[in-house]
Amino acid sequence: MTMLNPDPDAALVERVKQGDVRAFEMLVVKYQRRIERLIGRMVRDVDLVADIAQETFIRAYRALPQFRAESAFYTWLYRIAVNTAKKALVDLKRDPVTTLTALQGADDDDETYRGGLEPTDGETPEALLASKEIAATVNAAIAALSEDLRQAITLREIEGLSYEEISDVMNCPIGTVRSRIFRAREAIAERLRPLLDTREGNRW
Amino acid sequence: MSQPDSDRSSSESSRRILSALADGDATSGEAERAFVAWREDAQVRATWHAYHLIGDVLRSDDLACAPEANEAFLVALRARLADEPVVLAPEPRAAEAAAAQPAVANAPAGAATRARGRWQGPMAMAAGFLVVIGGLNIVRPFSHGGNASLASNAGASSPLATGANDPAVVAAGQQTPAQTKAAADQLAPYLAAHRQSAMNAPFQMPGSDLRNVSLVQPAQ
Repeated sequence: MTMLNPDPDAALVERVKQGDVRAFEMLVVKYQRRIERLIGRMVRDVDLVADIAQETFIRAYRALPQFRAESAFYTWLYRIAVNTAKKALVDLKRDPVTTLTALQGADDDDETYRGGLEPTDGETPEALLASKEIAATVNAAIAALSEDLRQAITLREIEGLSYEEISDVMNCPIGTVRSRIFRAREAIAERLRPLLDTREGNRW
Repeated sequence: MSQPDSDRSSSESSRRILSALADGDATSGEAERAFVAWREDAQVRATWHAYHLIGDVLRSDDLACAPEANEAFLVALRARLADEPVVLAPEPRAAEAAAAQPAVANAPAGAATRARGRWQGPMAMAAGFLVVIGGLNIVRPFSHGGNASLASNAGASSPLATGANDPAVVAAGQQTPAQTKAAADQLAPYLAAHRQSAMNAPFQMPGSDLRNVSLVQPAQ
């Protein structure tokens, strides 16, 4: 039996609210890229984007007990990201040095601690090449899927339909939808794996 | 060496659950398994990352990102989260939860939840009063001359200590009964959540008692 949740993140959010900080990491991995892109459209300085994204997730984590699920989690998270970016821009105009220090979580007493990130390598030629390679691999893998699998994952990921809605559109049971989406992801992930694995095998 | 069949099917089963959880379609039991697997299994974490990266790239090529950047981001955030107090929000009361969610097929578990729900409120209140009485035992020696300066400091700064000779006043903190009841009602879900977490969580939640005691410690 499936649990029909209007918010796909409800189970994760509830788990974090019960005190499981590691479950919050799952939300971070899910939304980091979208949050960084959103912030990147507001903040010109590429090096600041990751720091503001970090601050966004920390603020979201602190505020999570007050999250009442009146909107989807990602809508709520986007709002925090926009507000955090706006505040950073205002603070930056007023006091650039203090703001940068605060965003990067600098702690003079602990030289090993690095709250913020190293200057981003997201814009290095190697990183750009890796990104393009990942995009090309995913698109090629999608093109190679059977029609059923491609339609199922497209309706889910691009159109944002629930399993129930997809089952209506594709005229098949929800269990079949679930299976098709899984098989589509597996087929794409299989092609991606060489690009994502480290030499040691485990990255995370 | 080839992977044993049982490991392979178990691993595929884990990935199926992750895929469903990513779309909010996992059952509560499946979600529970996934949360445990996330903590213990690097392959599960890598799969979760891959599935969401795929979804992002399907939405837009410009969301494609070198995995090193994602990893560095998570490692840095993990370090910051380690310094954060654990968030803990009260769970909805049983009646509210039953109204908000469809009935669960597992009847014994449902009955246990309802029974726990009936007792949570009164138990939390009782625990709260016990903590206040325990706190009194800590405060009173100081106010009876054991340490005059400490007692006077406490008396100067804390409304709880101003009537230290009168336990009723101390317990109520000079609030009206209605205020006290309102505060206790507000606190009860949090105490219940702490207790629930301490009993059920797969990890240790230190300091729930300390947190309660701090409610009656005078602010310095």
